[in-house]
Amino acid sequence: MLFGRKKRNPIKIADKKVVDWKYTTCGYCSTGCSLDIGLNEEGRPVATRGTADAKVNRGKLCVKGIFEHELFDSAGRGAEPLSRLAADEEFQAVSWDAAMDSMAAKIQGIQNEYGRDSFAVVSTGQIMTEEFYTLGKLTRGLIGTNNYDGNTTLCMASAVSGYKRSFGSDGPPGCYDDFEHTECLLAFGSNLPEQHPIIFWRLKEALEKRKFPVIVVDPRVTMFAQFADIHLPVTPGTDLVLLNSLAHVILDEGLDDRAYIQTHTNGYEKFAELVGKYDPLTASKICGIDAEMIRKVARIFAKAGAAMSIWTMGINQSTHGSDGVVAINNLSLITGNIGKRGGTSLSITGQCNAMGTREWSSCSGLPGYRQLENPEHRREIGKYWGVDEDFFPKQRGMTMTDIFPAIEAGEVKGLWLVATNPMTSMPDSARIRKCLEKLDFLVVQDAYRDVETNQYAHMYLPAALWAEKEGCFTNTERRVNLVRKVCEPHLNSKPDHWIFSNLAKRFEHSKRMKFPETTAEIFDEMRELSVGTMVDISGLSHDLLEQEKGIQWPCSASQVIKAAETEDRYLDRIGSSRLYTNGQFQYADGRAKLHALPFVDNNEVPCEEFPFWLNSGRVVEHFHTRTKTGKIGNMNKYSPTPYMEVNPEAAQEQGIKQSDYVRLVSRRGDAVVMAQLTHRVAKNALFIPFHFHDCVNRLTLGLLDPYSRQPAYKQNSVRIETIDQKLAAKINLEMRDY
Amino acid sequence: MSINRDHEPEYASLDSPCVADTNVYGNPIDLIASSTVEVGTSMYINADPSVGETPNRNKQHGFHFTADNCIGCHACEAACSEKNDLPPHLSFRSVGYVEGGSYPDLKRMNISMACNHCDDPVCLKGCPTNAYTKHAEYGAVLQDPETCFGCGYCTWVCPYNAPQLDPLEGHVQKCNMCVDRLEVGLKPACVSACVGNALDFGVIESIPENRHQAKTSIPGFPDPEISKPNIRFQQSSENPKEFKRTDSEHIKYRQSEQSDVYEPVVDLKSSEEKHWNLGKLSSRENPLVIFTLVTQAVIGAFVIAFFGGLSGMENMGMIASSAVASPILLLLAALQAFVLVLSTLHLGKPLRFYRGFNNLRYSPLSREALAVSIFFGFLPVLAVLHAMQFGFLNILEAGAIQANFLPWASDSMLKLSATVLISLAVLIGLLGLYYMHMIYRIKARPFWDHWQVLSSFFGTMFSLGAVLLGLLVLPLIWFSSVSLTSLIVELLPFVAIGLAIEALGHFFHARDLKEGGKEGAASLMLLQTQFGKTYVLRNGVILLSLLAALLILMFSQQLFNTSGLLYAFAGGLAMACLFSSIVSRALFYVLVIPTTMPGAFFWKNKGFEEHARETGLAKMPQVGVVELSH
Repeated sequence: MLFGRKKRNPIKIADKKVVDWKYTTCGYCSTGCSLDIGLNEEGRPVATRGTADAKVNRGKLCVKGIFEHELFDSAGRGAEPLSRLAADEEFQAVSWDAAMDSMAAKIQGIQNEYGRDSFAVVSTGQIMTEEFYTLGKLTRGLIGTNNYDGNTTLCMASAVSGYKRSFGSDGPPGCYDDFEHTECLLAFGSNLPEQHPIIFWRLKEALEKRKFPVIVVDPRVTMFAQFADIHLPVTPGTDLVLLNSLAHVILDEGLDDRAYIQTHTNGYEKFAELVGKYDPLTASKICGIDAEMIRKVARIFAKAGAAMSIWTMGINQSTHGSDGVVAINNLSLITGNIGKRGGTSLSITGQCNAMGTREWSSCSGLPGYRQLENPEHRREIGKYWGVDEDFFPKQRGMTMTDIFPAIEAGEVKGLWLVATNPMTSMPDSARIRKCLEKLDFLVVQDAYRDVETNQYAHMYLPAALWAEKEGCFTNTERRVNLVRKVCEPHLNSKPDHWIFSNLAKRFEHSKRMKFPETTAEIFDEMRELSVGTMVDISGLSHDLLEQEKGIQWPCSASQVIKAAETEDRYLDRIGSSRLYTNGQFQYADGRAKLHALPFVDNNEVPCEEFPFWLNSGRVVEHFHTRTKTGKIGNMNKYSPTPYMEVNPEAAQEQGIKQSDYVRLVSRRGDAVVMAQLTHRVAKNALFIPFHFHDCVNRLTLGLLDPYSRQPAYKQNSVRIETIDQKLAAKINLEMRDY
Repeated sequence: MSINRDHEPEYASLDSPCVADTNVYGNPIDLIASSTVEVGTSMYINADPSVGETPNRNKQHGFHFTADNCIGCHACEAACSEKNDLPPHLSFRSVGYVEGGSYPDLKRMNISMACNHCDDPVCLKGCPTNAYTKHAEYGAVLQDPETCFGCGYCTWVCPYNAPQLDPLEGHVQKCNMCVDRLEVGLKPACVSACVGNALDFGVIESIPENRHQAKTSIPGFPDPEISKPNIRFQQSSENPKEFKRTDSEHIKYRQSEQSDVYEPVVDLKSSEEKHWNLGKLSSRENPLVIFTLVTQAVIGAFVIAFFGGLSGMENMGMIASSAVASPILLLLAALQAFVLVLSTLHLGKPLRFYRGFNNLRYSPLSREALAVSIFFGFLPVLAVLHAMQFGFLNILEAGAIQANFLPWASDSMLKLSATVLISLAVLIGLLGLYYMHMIYRIKARPFWDHWQVLSSFFGTMFSLGAVLLGLLVLPLIWFSSVSLTSLIVELLPFVAIGLAIEALGHFFHARDLKEGGKEGAASLMLLQTQFGKTYVLRNGVILLSLLAALLILMFSQQLFNTSGLLYAFAGGLAMACLFSSIVSRALFYVLVIPTTMPGAFFWKNKGFEEHARETGLAKMPQVGVVELSH
């Protein structure tokens, strides 16, 4: 020692006494990070670390993953199934058998009285792919309602719809490795550092090795915008205009890949004619980006040897979200940037298994990207499941965002919510509350009893949390990752697939069907069904997924066998980094489609009465409706209470000081938030994190995209009112009381 | 628990070279020469006797922070808290930020900060219990919570918020540089977790791959001269001229005209309107308000009465050599004992109070504690001596003890020992006050780091000392031959001197704070706005009291005839002194704005912490704010 005590106590450093590390996959976002949960001698989870040789995260984790072991014992977990006759009565604990019996009877009762479609099922992006598949089998094969959707309609529907329109199928064509090869990154409405920190790190790592231009389009000066080489602070809701104009410049200046367009696309003429109208000068007046900048960005993108686009909710959550996605795909197609290293159009997905539900849940069709509209698919699945093919509807039913208005209209009488919390997550909370109140029967199935929607439930089913069970998640880059079971489910909660299978037994027809006990057996069914489809996972198994730390589909059995025969360290080679590498798309003629996308301004633009744009988004320390992250002090403390970002100049005009509470008013309702003065937002714009209960979604309108039915969360108008600070503090405290 | 594992990523391994012999402060990077340990000594982490094989193990290590890259994602803080098993209200590492520019040309700069394992560890030097050690291994400054008694002094002196006082546990903990990871060749947990590639770690002055700067400061970072921290920065992207803080502190940072260094300047944040805010005078440091005032008054009363008595003051002489001397000494001792207990209870771990003398070598707190304790020890001894010499009220006669128990002790012996002991007590009392003032001469607390602390402490010693003495003599006056009127007249000059010193100190303090700018000027601004009305009243009371004291002295002959009026004046003056002293001392504690790291909007934002405690948000453990003890 240099100085200090000569005789000192021994150095003590916290030792959590981990005796075993269990491999699993993070259950928050879609990045798909592998992590190890440390168990102590008693088998309790006490530590988390990023898996050292993980393909995605290479040992890193974000703040949420780092504390994921604390979830198992977090406050508010459900212990027993609960039941009550009306939402204003007290819940009574019931046995699982009684709960399942009564639930099946209620569903059938409602369906008998009002028709099959009067009972709706809304699931999630949070449970395992095997569970999605099982829920799909139950809903499509036994319950038989066509009003079955996932909350992915709130986040990824526009990406799905856009991919289908451009390429003939869903499925993100690129991967994180594209950062290592691209020569230009164009990011739309994506705040990677905050929303997908580990994907941002992968980008950062690529940039450490090799500099390439990063262009960020975002009305808000996010951390990503700040670090970008070029930031385009676009006018909210006008990204389609900017995209059309970029295409205009590329075609106008002959920077397009004519050979690729001619060989691999349809629809060029109409597309060219449409973008012809969006010259940079005209566009600049609408989207707020000057003409010279539009030309410059178009040139950088088109001249790059390989250029990629990424986007998240800034594109998806708008009235022309699907069009925005298609427009991004258009840019990639006309420059030949699909299916090549560093050239892609990559949707950065939201939930840990949003992809899993898209692939296997049968929400929008049938498993393995099959469609209800296709008689061959109906026949195939009907036969495999042991269900009469005519039992399947011939067309997709309502989406989540249409199911709620259908409750309002009295068409839907019963609702089953699986791991989703519309009271906080859906736009126009007041309207959602009214819908929930109207239901004859609401089942909430969630790991947390205190999930806000439970307030209206007639039945609550306590579900096991993420790593209290085993199964797969698919991440943003189509990597199927394995979640290993780390510990037993909390008290008497059960894995979601157990609940689905046990409910299925209550339906008469289930005797002719199979509902396997384990997720590994369920995975075998999916493997068989995937053969010959785009989402081929026949080469995968749970053990192989752990060994390889995830594999990107498609990955056929023959590919794995062949790789095993030819290579020593073969396993790095299996799976598929990219889709459409041969320029063959999923449309019947193998060509992608260029769409002409006219811009219609139907946003709720600010006016005299409501002079501010209201934008919402995510913060790194919270996930979705804070059901999980709000319980963990070491994350929640970074934003324990809702706030809005407001420009200091606007604040001054309104007489608002830093940390004052304000009341925001829209045409739908009001919300109380704390003011954070920052130049991150424009003088006529506000930003509020969407995670908080009874907050931003009391204000949002949520107009629906005509293709994806996804709500426009990010373009609403509000006004600011002052409020008595003591009253506001009281209101705020009550709203945090879960 | 084994830290090593297979396939550890390369970014986590510690392999930085030593590129220089001395660091930018001119200190040797190799630590062996200046230490008493040998190369290859075990650190005995968790009693493990093994020795790490890390190259450069005995070189000073430090963090390298690329401010251009930090995204404020909290991964470093989380990894640290996860590893060290910290509750939400503590953090060894925190990320705050500053912002400059205007939309869309905004720059938010996140700053991730933990302990900088300084060359000149002010925490180590300040800690009275000697809980800190600077090790020859990696130059790590480690703190032992088992030794700490929770006074929180290290949290005052550290400019980086590194030591964390846990109000629930009652002790301090801090960053341990992850020496357990370093010993197995891994970088600290925070560095390995960094997602923005901002945080790195290695031998100090070595620059990580792909980086080219090793600056000692960035905007928002305190003056490195305070403690010579072992952190280097890269910050090469263009900055706005001014950076604002999002937390409630009234500070922003401006680029100085001479250099590219950013200096803290006052940020008004609220209006210049003057307020009372009397309720806000009460703080966690209330026990210290009482302790310092009473200790100063007790020492003052002692000095005036007994040193005054020795040096020939008439009434003081009568008191000091009479049957009231011993009871007065006992009352002073009782009062001192009371506030010593009070200040001990202010500790997180009061039962460890005896450790307060462990660091006499460096800590002014240890020195003050020792001096005040010795002074306190003199009081009962002197009480016995005086009881022997002069009796105790009418209970004990002078000479009675002597005659019965100590026939060999002569009167002159007693007198001599009393004189010697009084002189020693005065000396040690004054020394105690000097070190009490040194406690507050903290570079990271510009509002305190001024000679006004000394003038205030000695001013109080005189003014409150005289008031206290008067109050003590009052009930005993019947037992002595002192007349109240003449006592008042003899004590009044001390009150006047005390007030004058105090007033002078305040005047120069305000002038220097204003001229000095930075955090001191911000404290002054708060004094003159948030506490503006209280400030005016306090100043008025001091000036009026001083004036009144002088007037009474001047017209004391006339007032002798109407002693009632004199008593009323004296009583009023005593109250005024007490009032101004309490208000001044309370302001002294609540107004200090430390030179420290900027916070975030919620986390490490004092304004939000206060709000959370006031509104009840703090009752939810997941909010990360806990009630303060005391």
